[in-house]
Formats: sequence, C-alpha cells, structure tokens
Amino acid sequence: MLARGFSWLGAGGGGNTLTLELILGQRRPWPLQVHGVHELDPDTPAVAVGYAGSTYLMTERLPDAALFAPLLAAAERWTGTPARAVCSMEGGGMNGLTPLLLAPELALIDADFTGRALPRFDQMTMFVDEVPGLLACVSTGAGGVCVIEASRSADVESLVRAAVVCAGGVGPVLIAGFTVGQLTDHAITGGMERALTLGRVDLGGPPLEVAASVGGRYVGGGRVESVTAGVADPYTSSALMAGDDGAVLRLVSHTEFLAVQRDGEAVASAPEVIVCIDPSSNEILEVHGIHPARRVEIFALPAPAWWSAAPHRLRHVTPAAYGVRGLDQDGGSCSTP
Amino acid sequence: MQHTLNLRALVAHPRNGGLRWIEPAENADLLDPVDIPLHDVALVTSVEELPSHGPAEAVGPGAPGPVGSLVVFTQPPPAEPWEADALLRRVKSRGHVALAFKEPADLGAGTLAVARRLGLHVLGSGAPLALARAAWELQGNQDALTLGYVRKVAQSVEYHADHVQDLLRHLAASVGHGVALVDREGVLLEAGQHLSPDLHAALCSDAWTQAAQAGDTSGASVRVESPSREGLRLVFFDGGLAGAQLSALAVAAEMAMPAVAARLLIDEVASVNNASIDSGLIRDFLEQPGGPDSDVRRRMHERGWRTSGVHLGFRIQGLSRLTPLELLRSVSRETGAWDVDTHVSTAGLGVIGWLTFPEPPSSRELERHTGALRELHRTLRRSFNVSTGVGTPEAGAEGLASSLDAAGEAARVAAHRERGGYFLRIDALGLEQLLLSRTRNDIFLPAARSLLQPLIEAGGELLPTLGAYLDHESSTAATAHALGFHRNTVSTRIERIKDLLGLDLADPDTRLAVHLALRALQD
Repeated sequence: MLARGFSWLGAGGGGNTLTLELILGQRRPWPLQVHGVHELDPDTPAVAVGYAGSTYLMTERLPDAALFAPLLAAAERWTGTPARAVCSMEGGGMNGLTPLLLAPELALIDADFTGRALPRFDQMTMFVDEVPGLLACVSTGAGGVCVIEASRSADVESLVRAAVVCAGGVGPVLIAGFTVGQLTDHAITGGMERALTLGRVDLGGPPLEVAASVGGRYVGGGRVESVTAGVADPYTSSALMAGDDGAVLRLVSHTEFLAVQRDGEAVASAPEVIVCIDPSSNEILEVHGIHPARRVEIFALPAPAWWSAAPHRLRHVTPAAYGVRGLDQDGGSCSTP
Repeated sequence: MQHTLNLRALVAHPRNGGLRWIEPAENADLLDPVDIPLHDVALVTSVEELPSHGPAEAVGPGAPGPVGSLVVFTQPPPAEPWEADALLRRVKSRGHVALAFKEPADLGAGTLAVARRLGLHVLGSGAPLALARAAWELQGNQDALTLGYVRKVAQSVEYHADHVQDLLRHLAASVGHGVALVDREGVLLEAGQHLSPDLHAALCSDAWTQAAQAGDTSGASVRVESPSREGLRLVFFDGGLAGAQLSALAVAAEMAMPAVAARLLIDEVASVNNASIDSGLIRDFLEQPGGPDSDVRRRMHERGWRTSGVHLGFRIQGLSRLTPLELLRSVSRETGAWDVDTHVSTAGLGVIGWLTFPEPPSSRELERHTGALRELHRTLRRSFNVSTGVGTPEAGAEGLASSLDAAGEAARVAAHRERGGYFLRIDALGLEQLLLSRTRNDIFLPAARSLLQPLIEAGGELLPTLGAYLDHESSTAATAHALGFHRNTVSTRIERIKDLLGLDLADPDTRLAVHLALRALQD
C-alpha cells in the first residue's frame, strides 16, 4: 500500500518501488513504528536518506542498509553527534521507502524534503529554505565517502552529482546536520500517511471516482500518438495524445511528468503531482512507460501546501525550474517564441 | 465598423513576404471561399507584446465569422511543441483570429491539430515586416499600395522584352499577379496565370478602366490605346484581391498600358518588315522559271525554307479590299498549331503558303491536311472575303513553284465558284474550268466581246444558238433537238451567224476561239 502510494507521488519519476518493496518485506522486523515530527524531542539529531542517480541502475545494484553505514559514520564524525532519527529526502517513488532500511535502529519520522518526486538537491525543502549547517554525505563507490558542506544549494547539487557519477551512476546519499524540530518548518510532513491513503485507493473505478478518492482531478484520457524529445533538452519529452473528447492533449515530461496541455492550455503543471495510469492494467506509469498506442488516463494531485506557501519555494518546482517554458499555470513566467 | 482588411486579400498581396497558409492547408475546403475579415494586424516580437483584442466579435447577421486581428510574429515558432501550442492558445484567448510566423514555420502535427481545435488560422511569411507593411497598405493607405504596384510596373519595363508576350511575362512576374491582353472575342495573350472566361466577360467593356469579380478571382482592366489594333484591354487579375488592390491595380494597368501599346506597334512593324521580306523572296522564287538561283537559294535557306521534300501549295486571295497583314496574322495563328512544317507569306492581295512533308504524304494524310486548309478557309471567311486554292503535292524546288502556281490558279477559279464556298483544290478542277480560267482575264474578255459583238447587236437569240451548235459538235439535228427548234430554223440561224461574224466555223482553230469567247461571255 505504502509503495503504491509512493508510486502515485513519484509523478512518473522517482524510480520503481518494487525492488525495495521486496527487500524491505524480507529483512525488516514488521511492523515498523512511524513517528510524527511532534512525537519526538525537537532536539533529536536526524538524517534524511535516499538514493541519487539513475533509478534504472537500481534494478541491478540492489539497495542495502549496509551501504548507509559509512555515510552515517562520516556524518557523526563531522557533526560530533550520532543520529537518532531518520526521514526520507524525497517523498515519492522508491526514495519514499528508503528510510525504512534504517528503521527501527533509527526512529522513523513521517517527513521528507519534497512531498513528491523531484530530481535535484537544490529543490529539497531544506536547501530551498537555506537551513544553515546542512551536510550531505555521498558514497563515491568502493567504500569512499564524500562529505559536502556548502551554503549554496546549487553547489550541493553539482557536487553530489559528481560524487554519484564517481560511484558509478547511482548511490546512497545522506543529509545530516538538522534536528527533528527543524523538520516542522523546513520539511513536508505526513507524506507516508498520504502515501498510505493513496495506496489504498481502488483504481478499477471510473476515472472521476478515482480522482475523487485520491483527492485530485481527472485531467483527461486518451491514446498516445507520438512521443518526441525536446529540442533544447533531450531529457524533456512531450507525448502527443488524442483525447477521448477530441481535445489535443500534450503530456510534457522531464524526469517526472511536468505538465499537461489541453488544446494548448496548461491544465495541470508541477508542483502538482501528475500521475498517469494505464487503465487496462491499472499500472501507475513512469515517464518511460508512455509510448505510442498506449491508452493513458491522467490525474493531478494537489501539490503539498508547503511549496505554494512562499513564492521563493514555488519557483523551484514549476516547469520553468526544469528549463521548460510556456507551461506554468497562473503566475508562472510566460514563454516567448 | 468597416473592415477593409481581410486575410485573403493579404495572401493575394504580392509583397507579403511570401505569405502562405499553414493551417488550414492551402487547398482545404475550410478556406473556400469565405473571406476572413481582419480587425487589425499586430506586429509583435514576443508574446508579452501580444495585444488583447477582447473576445472575438461577430459583425452582423450573415457575417462570415468572428473578426479579430492577425498577429504577426517576427520570429519563427518556438522549437518546443508545447511552447507553440501554448502560444496558439494565448493568441486565440486574446481574441485574435490568425497568427503568422516568420519562416521557417514548421509546426508539428499536434500543434496543427491544436490550431484546428481552436479555429485559429496559422500562416507563414518569409518577411514579417513586409507582411505588416502589406497590411498597412491594404488598410487604407491606398497611395502606398498603388505606388508599390506602379514602381513594379516601371521596373518590369526596364527589362528587355522580345515581344509583347515577353513584356507581359515581365509584368506578371514583377507585379505578382496574372496579366492578360484580351479583346471581346477572348484572351489573346496571358502571363502568370490563366484568366477564366467568366472574369474575361466581366472585364470587357468600353470603359477606360474596369474592375470586376468572377467567382474567387477578380481583376482590373484598362483600354489599350493602340493605333494598329482596336478593342484591346490590358488586365491584371488574381484570386482574393480586395477592392483596394483592384483600384491600385487599375492604376498600375494604366501605367503599363502605354508600354504594352508601344510594344504592340513595334511588333507590328517587325512583322510587316518580316512579311515584306518573305513576300519579296517568294516573288523572286516564283519568277525564276528554271528553279531558284544560288542567291535566292541562300536567302531561302537563311529564312529556314526548305525546298527539299514534298510541298503542298495554297493561296488565299482577297475578293475585295483587305489588309494582307491582318490576313497573314490570322492564317499564321491557325497554321502555327498544325503538326506539319508550314510557311506563309503575304503575296499581292492575299497570302501564299505551303506545307512541306519530308516524305510524300499518303492520300489519307493529304486529305487530312486539305481538310485543315478547308477549315482554315472557313474560319477566315468569317472575317475576310477570300477565296482559297490548293495546289497538288509536288517534290523539290520546281515542284514547290508549280504547286504554288497551281494553287494560285485554283484560287482564281474559286473566286467565281460560290457553290464550292470559294474553295478549290486544283486536282478537283475540270479541265474545262482550267481552260476557262485562262480566258477570264482583262485581255481576253474585251476581245471575246468584240468578236461576238455582231451577234449581240443582231439580237440575243443568236448567242445561245451558236453555243448549242458548238456544244453539239456542229450538228444541226442535235442542236435543233436540244433547243426544241426545227432543224431549218437552226440551219438558217447558223448561216446568218456565219455571215455576221464573217468567220469559217469549219476551221478548228476558229471554232475553238469562238467557243471559248462564248463561254467567257456566258459565265
């Protein structure tokens, strides 16, 4: 249920949850206790964990709790205090489940830094809010650890990325240097609870009913006619869909689904969580699952309120933040030809 | 509100930067034949400059559609399809009806589908500024529009033209619309486009200038003041032209007309000159009995006349006053379309010409060509009072001369044969007719009259009697039977005739002369 819920919040990215789901099912002493941020002492030192890099590679490099041990040790050496609690650094896709690898040795907190899948470190709430004293520990492969203390979030992003490339394209990342109390203001809480609720929704019903039960909107359904890569950035792609009602639907994606256009009008866009479902299998589709001739139903879940609480936060997660112009809904920057 | 501007007129404007329809596609049913009135044209460099027109407004009952503006972007469409989609949507939602991009305006299928869904016209232009200027001209800056056309006319006159058709081609290319030279009968020359018969009919009048529309095309015409040709009009025409363009084109036609008239005159002089050279050469050729000498041969060669092969001569002769050049022009127009080597030239009060076959033609082929000549004759008879003679097919230079001679002979005989429609083939001519034709001339006729004068003075009945007597081999009985007289009456009359004429009718030469004189007078 939780895994399925995090697939919803993956918005087409964030990686497939299946491998981690199977590993956790076998290795953890279920049930695991989840703590709300207010249930622990605010001064409890905490860490956030996740995998960075190619989610595709995760199918051959299996996630393992042991991989986080050198990172925890490095963080402890740097901060001088051992971590007592763990949360997720990305509340969507497989990283929603990653902190479960470290529980119950560390107290599991229902909080994360994104509220959905997002591709970059500078998009994480802690870095967006520029919380001081943050520390990123990244595995560089072969037992090496890179510790990054940078005040600019963009630097964190590029240095973590460099370390991940060094580690072979994918690797564990740990963020430390904060306490449980800071999560209240600078993280998105309740993600696990939301995922659990989403995971319980029956996808077999009519789309409008499904939309109502997930608390979102049914954006439209149709048949994919073509998928083309973006001109400026080949990681951006757009799927042209013939809508069931005759409309021209265009689904624009980067590492996640970014926006949906209906007859040229953006009817859904990030940070809204755009979810594509194949109605024939009820499979929650990832970006690479959108291919010609596939029938797709598109839903939009409201973005976590944290993002829209301040303009500087929203700026980090709209389609424009991905370098994709012309798709922001109200208030976003407009495209120019 | 007066909408002087519409999208079709803008597409028809020759200096619109190569404006083309992208959606709907050029020949889509959706386009035809509705006008797309435009409220205004907005030139913008980015979407931020996009003016808001408010919701599209309709203009009264039966209005062709909503009126909005054309937005002209100075840049090509955004490369990313979603950006292009978003732009279209925004243009539409601001109340505009059409959008023109700078070329290359390559839009994907999805974006075109969005345009269709939105009912937005999408166009491409190589030069958006030129397009905006064209719109400005059409929007009531009539003088600029007219001056633009006039300048183009002036530019086209600058280039060398070999003949009128060439000049029309220059005009069409430079003005950017079709050009035609017409008279009441039809289109004489056209360039650039094809002038429909409907528009031709609508444009023909005696007025100095005339603007008219027929179906989707319209045009403006002006009377051509030519001393050599009457009833000509010069026409500029195209599809989708608006009133402003037509009145500007009328002025352009007025400006171009003198050049066309002058060119017509120059062509005329050239053709007169050409015809007189041809005519002189033919005369020289025919007047050399033993075949052409080396000088004539050289001149014939220079003019592309071949004497080898088999020739079929024909002669078209005026029965009353006519202008040989006009006749030559009409003949050349027809023979030009024939699938056989044909030469024509003026000769005297008519036209002489011949068909040349590399191999002797089969009788069937010959019949076909003779038929064509007969058809030509019939066509000519509508405008000219002429007779036509056709010679026999003969080979070589001498054959050409004799075929032409025979044709001349036949034309002379045909002049008197209303029955045959004033058309005669020499090989269909009776020997008698040939003989008679020899006698029908200014020398013989007075002589015949003076020979038979005593009989005419003695009373009319003696001439038919003599005619019948000679026709019946000088047999009194046969003559009496033919005339229904008694033999004695015939004998008496014959004796009297011999007395009056003072001639010996037993002499064969005398008998032949009298017989011919009779026939010549009777005919």
